Amino acid sequence: MVSAVLRTPLPLATVLFTVLLLVSERGLAQNSELESLRALVKGMEQQLQQALQRIDHLEKEKGTTATRVDQVEKSVRAGQSAPSALNPAIGMAIDATAEQRSKAGGTFNFRSAEIGVSASIDPYARGYAIFNGSRDGVEVEEAAMVTTSLPWNLQARGGRFFAEFGRLAKFHPHEYAFVNTPLSLDRIVGGESKADGVELSYLFSTPFFLRGTVGSYNQLGAENQRLDDNKSRSWSRFTYLSRLTSYFDLTDNHSIELGTSLAFTPSIRIAGDPQGGSRSLSGLDLTYRYQPLGTLYQGVTVGAELFGNSERLERDSGFRRMFAVGGYAYAEAKLNRHWAAGFLYDNAPSLASPGKKTHSYSPFLTWNLSEFNRLRLQYGYFDDKVREDKAERGQQFFLQWTTVLGAHAHGFRTR
Amino acid sequence: MQWKRRLILSAVIFVSLFRFASGAQAQPIRVVTTIPDLADITKQVGKELVEVESLTRGVEFMHAVPVKPSFVPKLNRANILVAVGLDLEISWLPALLEPASNPKIMPGQPGHIDCSTGISVIDVPKSLDRAEGDVHPKGNPHYNLDPLNGKIIARNIADGLARNYPQHKAQFEKNLAIYLAELDKAIARWQGMAAPLKGAKFVAYHSDWAYFANRFGLQQVGSIEVKPGIEPTPNHLVGLAQKMQQERIPLIIYGPQSDRYPKQLAGQSGASVVRLQSISGGAAEADSYLKFIEHNLKSLLAAMKKS
Repeated sequence: MVSAVLRTPLPLATVLFTVLLLVSERGLAQNSELESLRALVKGMEQQLQQALQRIDHLEKEKGTTATRVDQVEKSVRAGQSAPSALNPAIGMAIDATAEQRSKAGGTFNFRSAEIGVSASIDPYARGYAIFNGSRDGVEVEEAAMVTTSLPWNLQARGGRFFAEFGRLAKFHPHEYAFVNTPLSLDRIVGGESKADGVELSYLFSTPFFLRGTVGSYNQLGAENQRLDDNKSRSWSRFTYLSRLTSYFDLTDNHSIELGTSLAFTPSIRIAGDPQGGSRSLSGLDLTYRYQPLGTLYQGVTVGAELFGNSERLERDSGFRRMFAVGGYAYAEAKLNRHWAAGFLYDNAPSLASPGKKTHSYSPFLTWNLSEFNRLRLQYGYFDDKVREDKAERGQQFFLQWTTVLGAHAHGFRTR
Repeated sequence: MQWKRRLILSAVIFVSLFRFASGAQAQPIRVVTTIPDLADITKQVGKELVEVESLTRGVEFMHAVPVKPSFVPKLNRANILVAVGLDLEISWLPALLEPASNPKIMPGQPGHIDCSTGISVIDVPKSLDRAEGDVHPKGNPHYNLDPLNGKIIARNIADGLARNYPQHKAQFEKNLAIYLAELDKAIARWQGMAAPLKGAKFVAYHSDWAYFANRFGLQQVGSIEVKPGIEPTPNHLVGLAQKMQQERIPLIIYGPQSDRYPKQLAGQSGASVVRLQSISGGAAEADSYLKFIEHNLKSLLAAMKKS
């Protein structure tokens, strides 16, 4: 049958044509499948390429990160092995004012370039020093050792430091909420409570903060000229201090801090006074704070201190024991991160004539450009009955610029 | 006289028994933590063996915590101090440790647990200069926002407690395993929840959220602060608003800062504003570490829906 068909030309051609057609159709179909396969493979190749590129990129990124981490680790290790790594932390505060006084005139006052260094001495103590340069010269304001691991909640401090008398006397002036040192602090305490000596503090085991301090010093007060700091003396001519300070959280946002201080010098002999006598310097300080925890950089601080001084002083009628009382009060409202405004009232008696006083009233406005850069404007009206210094009379304007460089913290005492 | 002897003997026995009984009652380990996250995790690891208190409540901005003297007695009595580390607490904790007179919790001592040990720190600055703002020399310290870091925190706390109280090590390890399993389960759920956040761009007030963004696939493209800790200038805000409009950035995230600038930017760009917690405890619905992460995720998802 097949041979018969094959022998016939027409059917043979038809069969051949059909076979060819089938073959070509199949070939065409195979071609299109191949094409699609090729396209698929190509697509997969591209995807693979992209994936490989991504892997390469990630590897490189990982390598870069790892290299950077290595670099950081190496630099840290290098730093740690270098002797400089054991150097103290260093910081500087620069404080300058432009001042205009209605009676004394104006001046640019380079108040302070204060360099502070601080570091652990060993596992048992920390050391710090504050060097202050101003237009009056350079001096060591503080250089002290503080113990860090005494038992029974005790802490000792020795060297030159701002003694634990009152609150504001322990501040360096650039840390005040206002521009000038209150005259009451200047006249009664002698400015900052700078002292050469030794102190021992005890933290009471009470549920609230209660701390007691006793100290012994050559004398107390940066401007205190009663005794020569460099001369040896009998025990009765040292100054002995006791202070008790406490703090209470009224609520999460409101707190009260209360302190009382007494600095007693058993014997001071002033030239011309054959009798001599003791000096008692007392202080009472109260600070109220409203610090809303959930609201950043806002709050109110009200601080007040009362000082009392009892000693024999020279008057027209001769030497007599005089008791002078004075103090200051201020309120500061922190409005936001940049702005704060407040008011300072100061009541400063003359020590020899306590009836004569200088009252001053000073509103101030602070602009914190950043945490380390601050401008402050203050106006002061001084009603002066003491009339010893014309710079302490009439109206005063201050523009203060204070900056901090590097590590700078005076710690717990100036919170 | 006989009755007197009996009375004295009875008193001695009574006192001895009382002393024995009171001695048998183990005192809990007093732990103070700097943030509520660490207090919660310490409770989970220490359970009934610890008495934990956090110094901060969770509403504070960690770079501006008030130095409260009331923290001093707490630190004085603490057996263990647990801190975030990486200098997050630098502005307030060192000032409190000195008057606290408690050498055993000072940095480097066994009683001081630094939870940053073993954390892969990001944003380590290439150079240290205050012209770059308030930079963190050791890198971004807000690692608690990544729940995987929560596992490292828990491990560090368990190790630290065991270092000081080896007699309870087995108990700490057992509690840790339970907590880590709970955390793993939550992390798997959060990864699923966070799917819509993948690739979402956002502007942050401060760079608190880098670890959180890395974990859940968000992308920070700008910040309201000019530099860390430096408040924005008007020009910076105008430029940022333009960028947000051009790039259609849907989210503005802020934390304990004022909402003034975020809302102003949102008004100009049409983005959603969301306030997140950078530590736990700041809101009732974020009073534990697990709830805090979940609260942040839910807040973000809700804000994404609005945008």
